[in-house]
Amino acid sequence: MFLFDTLSLIFIALILLGAIPNLFYSFGYLPHIKRKTHYQIHYFAFILSMLGVVVAGNALVFLFFWELMSLTSWQLILTKVEDKETIKAARFYFFMTHFGFVFLLLFFLIATNGNLDSSFADMKNIVASFAYPTLLFFMLVFGFLSKAGAVPFHVWLPYAHPAAPSPVSALMSGVMLKVAIYGFARFLFDVLYPWPLEWGIVVLVIGSISSLVGVLYALSEHDIKALLANHSIENIGIILIGFGMGMIFDSLGFKTLSTFAFIAALFHVFNHMSFKSLLFMGAGSVLHQTHTKNIEKYGGLIKSMPVTALTFLLASISISALPPSNGFLSEWMIFQSMLGSYNIADMSLKLAIPFAVFALAITGGLAIACFVKAYGITFLGLNRSKNAKHAHEVNFLMKSGMILMSLVVISLMLFTPFYIFWFDKTLVSLHHISVYAKMFPHGFWNMHSVAVHGGVVSPLILLASLVGVTLLLLFAYKALHVKTRVHRTWGCGYKTSAKTQYSATGFAGPIRRFFDWLYKSNEHFHKENIGEHETKFSDSNYEVHVKPLFETSLYESSKKLTNRVSYWVYRLAHFEQTRYAAMIFNLMLLVLFSYRIFLHEFSWATFSLEFIVVIISIKVLIIGDKK
Amino acid sequence: MIIYVTTIAVLLLLAPLLLSFIKSLKMVLLFKRPSSLLQGYRNFSKLMKKETIISQETSSITTYAPFLVLSPLLVTMFFLPPVVHGAFYVSFVDAFTITGLLSLSTFFLMLLGLDSASAFGGMGSSREAFISALVEPAMVLTVFSVSMMAGDLGIGQAGVNLAEHFPKEHMASFLFAGISFFILLIAENGRIPVDNPETHLELTMVHEAMILDLSGVYLAIIETAASVKFVIFASLFVSLFIPLGLQYSAPVAILIFIAKLFGVAVAVALLEVNTAKLRLFKVPNLLGISIVFAFLSLITFYVLGA
Repeated sequence: MFLFDTLSLIFIALILLGAIPNLFYSFGYLPHIKRKTHYQIHYFAFILSMLGVVVAGNALVFLFFWELMSLTSWQLILTKVEDKETIKAARFYFFMTHFGFVFLLLFFLIATNGNLDSSFADMKNIVASFAYPTLLFFMLVFGFLSKAGAVPFHVWLPYAHPAAPSPVSALMSGVMLKVAIYGFARFLFDVLYPWPLEWGIVVLVIGSISSLVGVLYALSEHDIKALLANHSIENIGIILIGFGMGMIFDSLGFKTLSTFAFIAALFHVFNHMSFKSLLFMGAGSVLHQTHTKNIEKYGGLIKSMPVTALTFLLASISISALPPSNGFLSEWMIFQSMLGSYNIADMSLKLAIPFAVFALAITGGLAIACFVKAYGITFLGLNRSKNAKHAHEVNFLMKSGMILMSLVVISLMLFTPFYIFWFDKTLVSLHHISVYAKMFPHGFWNMHSVAVHGGVVSPLILLASLVGVTLLLLFAYKALHVKTRVHRTWGCGYKTSAKTQYSATGFAGPIRRFFDWLYKSNEHFHKENIGEHETKFSDSNYEVHVKPLFETSLYESSKKLTNRVSYWVYRLAHFEQTRYAAMIFNLMLLVLFSYRIFLHEFSWATFSLEFIVVIISIKVLIIGDKK
Repeated sequence: MIIYVTTIAVLLLLAPLLLSFIKSLKMVLLFKRPSSLLQGYRNFSKLMKKETIISQETSSITTYAPFLVLSPLLVTMFFLPPVVHGAFYVSFVDAFTITGLLSLSTFFLMLLGLDSASAFGGMGSSREAFISALVEPAMVLTVFSVSMMAGDLGIGQAGVNLAEHFPKEHMASFLFAGISFFILLIAENGRIPVDNPETHLELTMVHEAMILDLSGVYLAIIETAASVKFVIFASLFVSLFIPLGLQYSAPVAILIFIAKLFGVAVAVALLEVNTAKLRLFKVPNLLGISIVFAFLSLITFYVLGA
């Protein structure tokens, strides 16, 4: 019924690390919420259901907790129900999560042979005799990765996360997406184990595309929580790159590299939980004080909200993968595992891996740009609106939530070997070989890569030397007794005001212009000219809106297609009873024939005969004569 | 160990000289009267004596960021490959870490630009973010390719390996990686054609725009950071792509190393004199060339083994 192996325990630790600081934050946030009882019931049920998912020992319990997790988070998104956008976002989330659920249910029905309370070990035996394991793999991809937010099932994240209250967005983005990764890992390892090479490549490609798409749309975003949600897509992509590399190495027989890549992915799971929760908490505090999600309305908050600003800076450094943060260490490990592709014999695959390296590297560069934007526009400069002017530091509980979460970030940075020791144990329990001794051969100071020409990194020494050198410089500066004077910012003779600063739209301008073929941005420019002058104006307004490509192409167009087909069917019917009967008859014919084709022997002769029969009957009975 | 410390001291002392050298060489080439080679030191000592003016709009970021811009670069100085055969070098740092440290420095520089609420600072930060985002993949891919030829990703070990065993059999991919890295050197240090370090014209500024509101000691720190960054890139280029002359005795080898650094400076100066600054939206083309060369280097290494 329940299962407490190392993988489960690791994820219990993840959920607790994510949830405990969040509890503090959530209680601090509570006065801001109108429906308190509704919120609290669902909040605790949500945390318990996530714990339930990771300890579930059979299919039925797993599905029960999984569905409970989806429903409670759906209700939590609906906390601020008076907002029209919220309802829309919640409906979208509900649809997407159940789209995934259908595939999970199908997976379990096939893998358990209909007997839903069989354990995962039994499922492995049943699957071993199933003829199409790739079908099951794709069901897992659809089921779990739609929840995790990988491309192309990522569209719900930038809607759902901003709509939810901030502690909930922190939990959903930080923890719930990881629970989906847990499910993906659990069933790949326990049920579908010997993986063909192609599966790993599929996961790697999904990961690379997700990381790029996530960061690119994050850059064009003005809503701070949607920006962070897009970064979740990016980071899930990075996790999947590590995961995919692990699968590829495993199916090629490079066992040490495989374990290394999986450890990197697991480490990034933890890191992303820590810094993304912290970022959402920081964004929530800012939102709580300024009552707006629009990043252009912030500015200068570092002076009024120092704790929030400092913790946000820590998280920004970490998510931008800058040394010596924990985010850097996991990304370093993923790069190292890709460097291991040197050993691969298959030339086409070997040449393909550098493209994934490229995707990951450009993601890193753009993430830095994006977080300079998010941090700089939010916390630095002058207040850009009245709301930002009246902001002050949040209450004690919210502050302590953020501080606790930054302690989690720092612990991941300082105690990397400890965490990696446990990730290694986890993979050993999943029948992989141990690499801990190879990664830390000479104590915990240096972390070695297991790739052939691999490198070394020593997080503690880096941290110590950076802090040491900075302090030395600071002391030297203090010792100089430099005279300082405070004066206005130089503005070419004009006054510096909130409007003369760079805006978030302007900051992302060059990148947006460079990637315009992808964004296809919608620009609105309005100018109140003075008299006949083209260049003189009293007021102007410039806005850019970017509609995500996947949403317009994949989702909107499939919606349009469905509409068109249903309209065509509707026109056919003409409200005549005979037509309805004819349609039912044809449908039955189709079902019978396809049953025959798929489950019995297939031959082109009968197939073409049946095809012609169906076409003729459709033509004669349904369409009839054209008038 | 003595050689290690000496090298770092020499490089630090040399840093302002190299940039002044490029400047005066350019002036000679343009038939102007050259500025003194010691101008860098003069600027530094003058700035150190001046009072610091801090903008009233700034926050604690401006107080601390200059130190955080310089310190990752100073730390990186300790991780460079050895310049003399058998000298001490730090073995626990690899190329990805160095890339990360350089990005850390840039990160705080960009925040510094946004802190003073001036339109110039924001513009500089925005442009720098755009350029460094595109530099990152080229850098990682070049590092990837060089690590294969050197047989190690550790930057010190790679330098030693290349000096001991020059990759004659991989000359093609070595050359491609070298071209790619040279473009990165220009882009990361804000030289023409990517950025013009000499003008204060808003159309051309990137690096200068970010630091427009700094003065006194803070400006001295940032200028030192810029020159240290150039020395880091130049010595990385020299150690990885011209790994010659390490086998001589320590003073000679160090002199050869310095000569090579000046060689890089001459190359940069010649390039600066002979090209115009690119428009900002043409810069990705240049960086694209760098990325393509890095890919080419990997592909030739894999497919042809050359």
